[in-house]
Amino acid sequence: MSVDRTAVVAALAALTLAATACASDKATGGGQAPATAAAGGDGVKTGPGVTAGTITLSMLTDLTGPYASFGKSLTQAQQLYFEQVNQAGGICGRKVETVVRDHGYDAQKAMASYAEVAPKTAAIPHFIGSPMVTALKEKITSDRILTIPMAWATGLLGSQAIQVTGTTYDIDMINAVDFLVKEKGIKAGDKVGHLYFEGDYGQSSLDGSKYATGKLGLTLVEQKVKATDQDMTAQVAAFKKAGVKAVLVSVGPRQTASLVGVALASGMDVPFVGSNSAYSPQLLATPAAPALLKDFYYVTSGAPISAPLPAYEKLIADYQAKYAGQPLDSGVSAGWTAALIVGDALKKACEAKDLSREGIIAAHRSQKAWEAGLGGSPMDFSVYDRPASRASYVVKPDKDAVGGAKIHKEAAVSDLAKDYTVPSAG
Amino acid sequence: MSRIVVWAAVLAAFVAVPFYLEGFWLQTGLFAMSAAVGAIGINLLTGATGQLSMGHAFFLALGAYAYVYFAAEPTRTLGGLGLPTPLAAVLAVLLAGAAGGLFSPIAGRLKGAYLGIATLALIFGGQHVLFNAEPVTGGFNGRAVPPLEVFGFVFADTPELVVLDVPFGVLERLWFLGGLALLGSALFARGVLRGRPGRAMNTIRDHEIAAGVMGVPVTRYRAAVFVLSSMYGGLAGVLLALVFQRTVPDYFGILLSLDYLAMIVIGGLGSVGGAVIGAAFVSLLPQLLTRYSDALPLVAPPGSGGVSPAEAARILYGAAIVAVVLFLPGGLLGLLRSLRQRLPGLRLSPLPTPSPETRSSHVR
Amino acid sequence: MITFLELLVNGISIGAVYALIALGFVVIFKATEVVNFAHASLLLAGGYVVARLHPHVGFWLALLIGVAAAALIGALVEFLIIRRSKASSHGVLAIVTIGVDIVLTTELTRQIGAEVLAMGDPWESGVLHIGGVTIAETRIVALVTATVLIAAFLLAFKFTGWGVAMRATAEDPETAALMGVRLGRVSLSAWAVAGALAAVAALFLCVFPTPGLDRSSSLAALKAFPAAILGGLDSTTGALVGGLIVGVTEALMTGYQDDLSFLGRGIGDVAPFLVMIVILLLRPAGLFGTKELARV
Repeated sequence: MSVDRTAVVAALAALTLAATACASDKATGGGQAPATAAAGGDGVKTGPGVTAGTITLSMLTDLTGPYASFGKSLTQAQQLYFEQVNQAGGICGRKVETVVRDHGYDAQKAMASYAEVAPKTAAIPHFIGSPMVTALKEKITSDRILTIPMAWATGLLGSQAIQVTGTTYDIDMINAVDFLVKEKGIKAGDKVGHLYFEGDYGQSSLDGSKYATGKLGLTLVEQKVKATDQDMTAQVAAFKKAGVKAVLVSVGPRQTASLVGVALASGMDVPFVGSNSAYSPQLLATPAAPALLKDFYYVTSGAPISAPLPAYEKLIADYQAKYAGQPLDSGVSAGWTAALIVGDALKKACEAKDLSREGIIAAHRSQKAWEAGLGGSPMDFSVYDRPASRASYVVKPDKDAVGGAKIHKEAAVSDLAKDYTVPSAG
Repeated sequence: MSRIVVWAAVLAAFVAVPFYLEGFWLQTGLFAMSAAVGAIGINLLTGATGQLSMGHAFFLALGAYAYVYFAAEPTRTLGGLGLPTPLAAVLAVLLAGAAGGLFSPIAGRLKGAYLGIATLALIFGGQHVLFNAEPVTGGFNGRAVPPLEVFGFVFADTPELVVLDVPFGVLERLWFLGGLALLGSALFARGVLRGRPGRAMNTIRDHEIAAGVMGVPVTRYRAAVFVLSSMYGGLAGVLLALVFQRTVPDYFGILLSLDYLAMIVIGGLGSVGGAVIGAAFVSLLPQLLTRYSDALPLVAPPGSGGVSPAEAARILYGAAIVAVVLFLPGGLLGLLRSLRQRLPGLRLSPLPTPSPETRSSHVR
Repeated sequence: MITFLELLVNGISIGAVYALIALGFVVIFKATEVVNFAHASLLLAGGYVVARLHPHVGFWLALLIGVAAAALIGALVEFLIIRRSKASSHGVLAIVTIGVDIVLTTELTRQIGAEVLAMGDPWESGVLHIGGVTIAETRIVALVTATVLIAAFLLAFKFTGWGVAMRATAEDPETAALMGVRLGRVSLSAWAVAGALAAVAALFLCVFPTPGLDRSSSLAALKAFPAAILGGLDSTTGALVGGLIVGVTEALMTGYQDDLSFLGRGIGDVAPFLVMIVILLLRPAGLFGTKELARV
């Protein structure tokens, strides 16, 4: 009962523990990714997430938060791709296993999920949310896990392990301004509105629109909103007051629908051009549909799923066979593209007989002009401090097209976008 | 005697954890410890004094961001004071307390629901500042957190440290710091609750006018408890920032505040143990469900349709709040106590904290 | 000037919808002294029923069923949970409603999934032009409906037996019970009424100018908190005035955010809370709330 005995008990307990600690799994260094990669029986070097029979890939997605619909499409498309890969014999004689973790767009959950799956993951075919990827950027870089973020902010550039697909938001907006000037009769001295979200989606887009309008002598009228704002009446009033001739839209689909609907109803009949995240085909079932079909476009580096490409026709057929009745939104094509990028990186790494994390990244970064019959301009993966592509499609909502949108103008790099220097990540 | 054995076992288990469990569990455990510190704070305010606060997340944010700002070296775009990190941590906690003090004209005068909704303003106003004051907060993407360094010992992955063949990274090192912080917070709060202030606080909660009649300075007490609870929030925020290694403004929203209220109701109102148990429950439940979703009936693995683990965790957690209030007025802690009383061998010393049902009230 | 008028009219009309939600809080608070954080989920439930049913039974019947469903859910929450709770403090009951809200909202958002559900209302995207000011028809309907409903409540509180019972309960539940007021019935009806009001508010929050009901629609209920508090939690007039103040502040601050950019972008969302704090500093019980007199 004395203090001494307490101390003895505690000390004994600690000693027992110390003696057995060497038997712990962690004693081999399991806490961190082993720096040395082992070679398997088939002469292929392996690393974490790769065994003799399997390659494990983790999707860190949002199935319960604000991007749930996007996350669901991404996840399903990627699972479809890897199932097909497995049916065709897998990669490097190994089966691909996918692990899905839902973080609900919560940075802390994303961190916890990453900590859970990272030690046994070879690559991350999609990771939703730029705040989440930004928060983990240093870890991903030092863990050397090839990661495809589903966000296109410039802040995500600059890491060897992270591959932002296609264009960044700012490039898209520069191409959008170019489109307005060339096709919609906007000229120097005109005012252009930009409705954007708080956060780096909006901020990146704003970088682009500021640059482009500055170069072309246009005046930019900014309106910032939050994801929780639903009614854009006040913003429309502000744009009207300023007399804008066109509006750029870097918000979510709901806000887009409200903006376009209110503007049209109140007699503000101007063209609208959105970022790739501003539109969703679900909007065509709402009262905002007529306004969206009238003079709204969005810019994106990935071709819409209705593009006349054999690869997409097969994807549509396979996807609908597996997930009947599910919408074919941009998440399906984006997910498929990202899965293909990872699949190709793994295949190339296999050719080089190196499936360690370093090997996968090296194989991926060796591709200077990647394209897989998915349209768009080829992506240059050998650089990672600049966008992989600078060409954007202009896409228009269409009730009859698969996925609710069709190509309005083929992918092109505007002169402005060519000369644009992406702000350094920091 | 049995009590000492129990505590020694708890201590040994605590020391053993970082030697055996992988990073994921350490991280989850550390989040739970930080949550426990924060929950103790709000339990002093809401549980013991009866003041509803929805603004606790604001004080966590303040602690986290203040630590980063005080400790970080200034860069081209971001400000910072570059103070020694332990000093920065202490200042961050004090700053959270000072902010609580600034709110005292409201915290002292309002009570119950009014205070609860008034503190919502802290959340919305606070997040507005976090998003907009970019030179200090880093805006939307937040800032990286400088690692804590005490007498040359750095709480980070580098320089490498191997203890008994086990590599000690940032999580293993923080594990012990988190434990110490939690222990200190718990002991201090227990002292407050068991002493004169605790009695005064309970009287304010149970009968404000009676408290006034007996000479308790009600307004001053309310304001003081608010400050104390803010400091606990600040400390939880500092811990969270150290574990997180990054501060993100999105995180410190109304949902976090609601989580804290849920913790104390589920764990047990008005006591330190209740706060700790509730914090553990709320922090661990979603992680466990996600991790073992493949093995659980009714819960579909993520991405396969059906009730996903995250949704199941939300529903279970909401239902737990309702069920605890309906069936376990003393929370999980109360349940544990009544179990112990049925098992005399495990009986611990009776704790003097009143259970909620003994409170007098004019409510149905 | 036109812009100002347009913003003002819009602020008033959305403020009227906030007032409807705030009125629900107030009615529940008067009858049971509980702050109902589950209001957002009642709103979502009502809206969800309307959105799902209108293609089958037509808009008006769907609206009726939606209102009834939300009222029923409100009543069930009271009957199954609030009434049976052993918790003695109102703070704890408020936290229970948070639990209810989490369960209901999670399940409803799961049902809604990725969809944006149209409400099928007859006004669609029609607008009226009054002397250069443009305003959506839905907003005018909202304003009229809210005014009528709130006026009806003010009258009912004054003149009906139910209103008297409600006021007596709010004043002193024990005495009211002794005088023959059935407290259970009063509180049950209060929750049902609050649910019905929330469903009506849901309709107007999800029609033009917003595209429809989706998982985030219930967030608007948060704006009714400052409305209810700054008016005074136990005052129906306060709910109306509070709703209007919040709506107008929000609309004006957003509309003029270019001139207010030193406050940071997106100030429109925070402004109602700042106004609330200022009012609470001056009048701790809100503009029209009853001051508690307890001098020691």
